[in-house]
Amino acid sequence: MTQDVKQQIKDYIMAEFLPGESPDELTDTTPLISGGILDSIATLKLVMFIEETWSVAFAPHEVDKENLDTLESIMRLLGRKKPELTR
Amino acid sequence: MNSTIATDRVPASRSVEERGRIGFGDFCIAAAQLVVVLLLLRQFEIESKVFVQLAGVAFAGFAIHSFLPLRWRLPFFAALSLASLPLVLGLLNGIWLIAIGFVLIGICHLPLAAYLRVLLLVGAGALLASQRAGLLPAPWPEAIWPILGSMFMFRLIVYFYDLGHDTAPVSRAQSVGYFFMLPNACFPLFPVVDFKTWRRSHYSEDAYVTYQKGIDWIVRGVIHLILYRYIYYHVALPPSEVTGPAELSQYLVSNFLLYLRVSGLFHLIVGLLHLYGFNLPETHNRYLLASSFTDFWRRINIYWKDFMQKVFYFPAVFALKRFGTTRAVIGATMFVFVLTWFLHSYQWFWLRGRWLFVPQDILFWSVLGVLVVLNSLYEIKHGRKRRLGKPTWSWRGFCLLVAKTYATFLFMCVLWSFWTAESVHDWLGLWSALRGRYSIDALLYPALALAVIALGSLPQTARPADAARARARERAVTIASMVALVVVSIEAVHTRLGPDVATLAHSLRSAHLSRLDNAKLERGYYEGLLSVDRFNSQLWEVYAKQPANWMKIESAGLKRFVSGFEQVELIPSVALSTPHGTVSINRWGMRDQDYAPTRPPKTLRAAVLGPSSVMGWGVGDGATFEALLEERLNKEPVTQAVERVELLNFGIPGYQPPQQLAAFDRALRLEANSVIYVATGRELTRSAAYLAEALHKRLPIPLRLQSIAERAGARPGADEAALAKLLQPHSGAILAAVYAEIGGRAKAHGMSALWVFLPQVRAGSWQEETQQSVTLAAAAGFAVLDLSDVYAGHDPASVRLAEWDDHPNANGHRLVADRLYKEFAAQPDKLLPPTPIR
Repeated sequence: MTQDVKQQIKDYIMAEFLPGESPDELTDTTPLISGGILDSIATLKLVMFIEETWSVAFAPHEVDKENLDTLESIMRLLGRKKPELTR
Repeated sequence: MNSTIATDRVPASRSVEERGRIGFGDFCIAAAQLVVVLLLLRQFEIESKVFVQLAGVAFAGFAIHSFLPLRWRLPFFAALSLASLPLVLGLLNGIWLIAIGFVLIGICHLPLAAYLRVLLLVGAGALLASQRAGLLPAPWPEAIWPILGSMFMFRLIVYFYDLGHDTAPVSRAQSVGYFFMLPNACFPLFPVVDFKTWRRSHYSEDAYVTYQKGIDWIVRGVIHLILYRYIYYHVALPPSEVTGPAELSQYLVSNFLLYLRVSGLFHLIVGLLHLYGFNLPETHNRYLLASSFTDFWRRINIYWKDFMQKVFYFPAVFALKRFGTTRAVIGATMFVFVLTWFLHSYQWFWLRGRWLFVPQDILFWSVLGVLVVLNSLYEIKHGRKRRLGKPTWSWRGFCLLVAKTYATFLFMCVLWSFWTAESVHDWLGLWSALRGRYSIDALLYPALALAVIALGSLPQTARPADAARARARERAVTIASMVALVVVSIEAVHTRLGPDVATLAHSLRSAHLSRLDNAKLERGYYEGLLSVDRFNSQLWEVYAKQPANWMKIESAGLKRFVSGFEQVELIPSVALSTPHGTVSINRWGMRDQDYAPTRPPKTLRAAVLGPSSVMGWGVGDGATFEALLEERLNKEPVTQAVERVELLNFGIPGYQPPQQLAAFDRALRLEANSVIYVATGRELTRSAAYLAEALHKRLPIPLRLQSIAERAGARPGADEAALAKLLQPHSGAILAAVYAEIGGRAKAHGMSALWVFLPQVRAGSWQEETQQSVTLAAAAGFAVLDLSDVYAGHDPASVRLAEWDDHPNANGHRLVADRLYKEFAAQPDKLLPPTPIR
């Protein structure tokens, strides 16, 4: 389940923000916000994608580097919001 | 813009304890660099002597801090931050600031519902705001306001926001360290450090890596500040000197580049925080290389963008997202820009004591907001290019990037010039320069900017894969830059590099107001000085110290309008109580005792003409140099040719040389047999500017000046800025006409005519025209007395009213009176008319 969710998020990021780039370069610890891949608009798009796909709700204060800077941190946040997604 | 990602990240597995350790060798390398940094700060007098002292304390603190157990480091930083306040601001000010700060922090932690704490904070803020505005008395000194404001005006918002949302407990050391952050005592302009980022960043990276990054950033900040000084002292122009396309391009580019001061200061501040383990992100990211408006917004003042994004933008988007993502983004972006404008005004209120509501400010943020929205919409639709690995390089891609970056830069230069203009009208007046003479010089600054952008857009050399080697390379660059700057700053070195280099190096080594700001400071006595409310001028820092209720000469109610060429005069028979003493105006409209309408026999009656420093703004009745001199000349006569001396003070605040023609007419009506014309600097420029103002207002112009205006093609009623540009080349002729009129008529009336040069209390642009003025005065028949060195050897602070008001104080007037007495005692003929006084 965890791998599926992570893969879907990764696919979304690759398709939306990194078309033409090699998926191998996007690892679990690649910095997304501090690395300039996710700006405010891209971050919002990603949040809305996650909200719609897995029916989770984000609060504005959760949209930050601590929660969304890497695939790893995104999965941690999802795990807190909907534990079944990361089992 | 292409984005590539950084991969040099600390292994998460290492504990904070491990990351906080530093080897002795690494410590010695860092400490040795800090010694050079301190030398660099001292050699270039970076910011202020107090800051250099504070940096010394901070670096010494770093040495202790580095070897403390990790759990003691934050309390140590907090304690040092608190201690820095009395050190910089003085004991009393420091204690007041800490006490007020503790109350505000305490309110955030009261065991009450959040909305009640918000109400209490708003109440406390309103009380402080009333005191800041001077509506209510404050028991603490005025000096603490800018620093108190800079510590709490934004950080309190972020802190309270994080208290509500961040589950990690907040320690006392964190609270104290965050608000009273060490270098803040020296910097009213301080980046909006995010509380959550600040505490999460504490030793989030290995200690030495963090310290070295801090040193790199401090040096980078110093380089920004030195570049800024070069532009501020040598390149920036006042709008009145923008007469052709070359000057216009120089003005636009240099005006925008003055922002280097903010980026320099922020690098310095955040670099210093790194020395205490705070691995904070960059405050600016090569903002001159922004390739779009959204890119510009993301790169310049990143902390501000992050603050707005966190506290206002995301909450707004979430509140609006039911209307669709695009609409939510548009609405939230516009909301953020409106708030940015408002908070900018709010910031100036705390720093300066008054709100800033000017059209160009509103328009600037509106235009930038709309552009960022349009750019965002484009990015929502088309996306923007991002890279995971090394970007592929092509000529086409490079040229496209340079073109986009250059276009963004040029547009920002124009928009910035609008923002920093004193008025929309003044800004529109700038563009008349496009009708001037075109030459190759017009391309100089645009070409330089293009070259810098092209160089900056080249792919960066690959960072070594080994992080330690990469850091060693960066450290080598930092050390080389520091050493080179220190070496060039040594007088024995730069004087060997030729007079031009020596003069340049000398000018860059000292912090002072530029020619432009000095001129503004002089004008500040007479005008509103809107442009001081901008980052582009260093003057705001001087005015930030001015008490809100400081009595200004222009609003003191001493003058009234008249319909003639002179426009204003002092109101007769008025007495005003000022903090400096009583100012009494006699029945003849002079700041003086009463005199009979006819000159008594055997009396030397000398009319003293001049501006506010002659009138004696800043001292009480009887303490002006004119009054002191008159008293002494009668007590200790310098000549037997007269029985009595009367000095009539015709000084009027704000009077420019041409207005003295009217003052001279009044002197003749009171039978003066001597005239003392007191010049205070920039006589030529001020004469031309006043004639431009008079023509613009269609005032009746004296005949001699009318003919000069006609020669210059200056027509009554035309735009003042355009008139000033037309008349400036004729400034010598205008002043010569004024002097000739006064000197000639004095001679015709059998009067003596003396021209006295009275300097300002500190060096500045007023000195530039002294020699020409002396020559013109002598040619017009005046005896000349140059008092240029009257304040020499005295600390300016001991002879002026205040840092923001250069009028001489009682001590200054005494010095002038003593000097004049000595001059007259040595050469009494300078005062006496050619024929014996009856």
